[in-house]
Amino acid sequence: MYRAADRSTFPRDTVLFLVCVTVSVAALLAPASVTLAIANSIRDTALRPLVWLQGRAEEGRTSRARLQEAVGQRDSAVMAGRMVPVLQQENESLRELLALRSQMPATGFVAAEVLHQPLPTDGRTLLLSAGSGEGVRPYQPVVALQGLVGVVTRAGASSSIANSWAHPDFRVSAVTVDGSVLGIVAPSANPDPSLTVLEFRGVAYRDTIPDGTLVVTSGLGGVFPQGIPVGRVRGVRREELGWERVYQLIPLVNPGHVSHVLLLTLPAGEAFPDSTGSDAP
Amino acid sequence: MNGRRGGWPLWLVLGLLVLLHFYLRPRFFAGRGAPDFLLLALLIFSIRSRPGTAAVAGLLVGLVNDTLSPAHFGAGMLSHTLVGYLAAWGRAVFFADNLLVNAGLFFAGTWLRNLVILLASGLSVGALMASLTLWSTLQAATSAAAGVVVVLVIRHRVDFRIDE
Repeated sequence: MYRAADRSTFPRDTVLFLVCVTVSVAALLAPASVTLAIANSIRDTALRPLVWLQGRAEEGRTSRARLQEAVGQRDSAVMAGRMVPVLQQENESLRELLALRSQMPATGFVAAEVLHQPLPTDGRTLLLSAGSGEGVRPYQPVVALQGLVGVVTRAGASSSIANSWAHPDFRVSAVTVDGSVLGIVAPSANPDPSLTVLEFRGVAYRDTIPDGTLVVTSGLGGVFPQGIPVGRVRGVRREELGWERVYQLIPLVNPGHVSHVLLLTLPAGEAFPDSTGSDAP
Repeated sequence: MNGRRGGWPLWLVLGLLVLLHFYLRPRFFAGRGAPDFLLLALLIFSIRSRPGTAAVAGLLVGLVNDTLSPAHFGAGMLSHTLVGYLAAWGRAVFFADNLLVNAGLFFAGTWLRNLVILLASGLSVGALMASLTLWSTLQAATSAAAGVVVVLVIRHRVDFRIDE
């Protein structure tokens, strides 16, 4: 049996409570650059063993499914790869004929586990099991097998934080897969709470996009390479004063469920817009 | 707080819950309805502590959560501080060793924590309601179930007194 309930709340308790609330509110109001730096340093020191432990647990849970998935992907890749040299040659010849420069290449990647947290905001930001020690830098695109997940905002020594497409600050320049319509993709404040979607903004009023059209990254802006699938169009969401249509986009990746991602890296000598981390997105 | 002679010290139980949170949960539970063992540890500690101490513990647990998921840094600290303080204060109105009361506390604590975080996150009303009625309720239920199991395991093994 426990001691009988303590029926008084001492001033010391009230003071401690008020101090804690004040610290919390101050943290809420503090600039993102400050709070992210604090979170980074705590993650890299006190919480490092726990993040490591969660990373191993996540690997253990997904290893069997990932092996089966990897075998299937390898078989598909082998079949598709047979045509690659021919297509590559053809592509280079056509680009040379049209005097087009080659698209921005993302030559490498860093693989990472997504360490989900049991918080209702999990999915807006993702904790990744790879950090600067593995070559992760701010602004690296985060992709899954199905398509775009988000972008790295902070890279610690052994873990990093990424903003997913569901984060209110996320934006990416995108284009329909045939290259005909260009726009900006952003998360949507959706009135239908059962459906988390994106918006394809800035589409000229004269352009119409059929439902089901695949939208991919355009490569503009220097962060996301060209051609990463983002989502599929599902109807017009709204029209802005007769000069712009905003389309609804069904994302291809659910950040709340993704468990394994790739962080794309640039070739040696090239850098993302700001890789110092001081002005991360 | 002093551990009972021959029993498990409270810190051992809390340590085990932290390990469950960072190893068992990601290993066996996926999705937003997974139980939150860190919050359970906070509630088990809080219900046996002074409100001020529980508030500080809540702040620290919230800091851990905000560090690992910094979508809205500070929201976790605020919500866990409130939950810890209220749970400790609640000792004045219920018996801490009643299983049903504990289950209700775990459910209400998880749900309240999620409510505060969602409010601080600035979600639309529709998304807020969906998250509260579906995912938060589910997580509160799984956390309460996990908490009842933990209490059943520790109730005769852990006993301690609150420092004056």
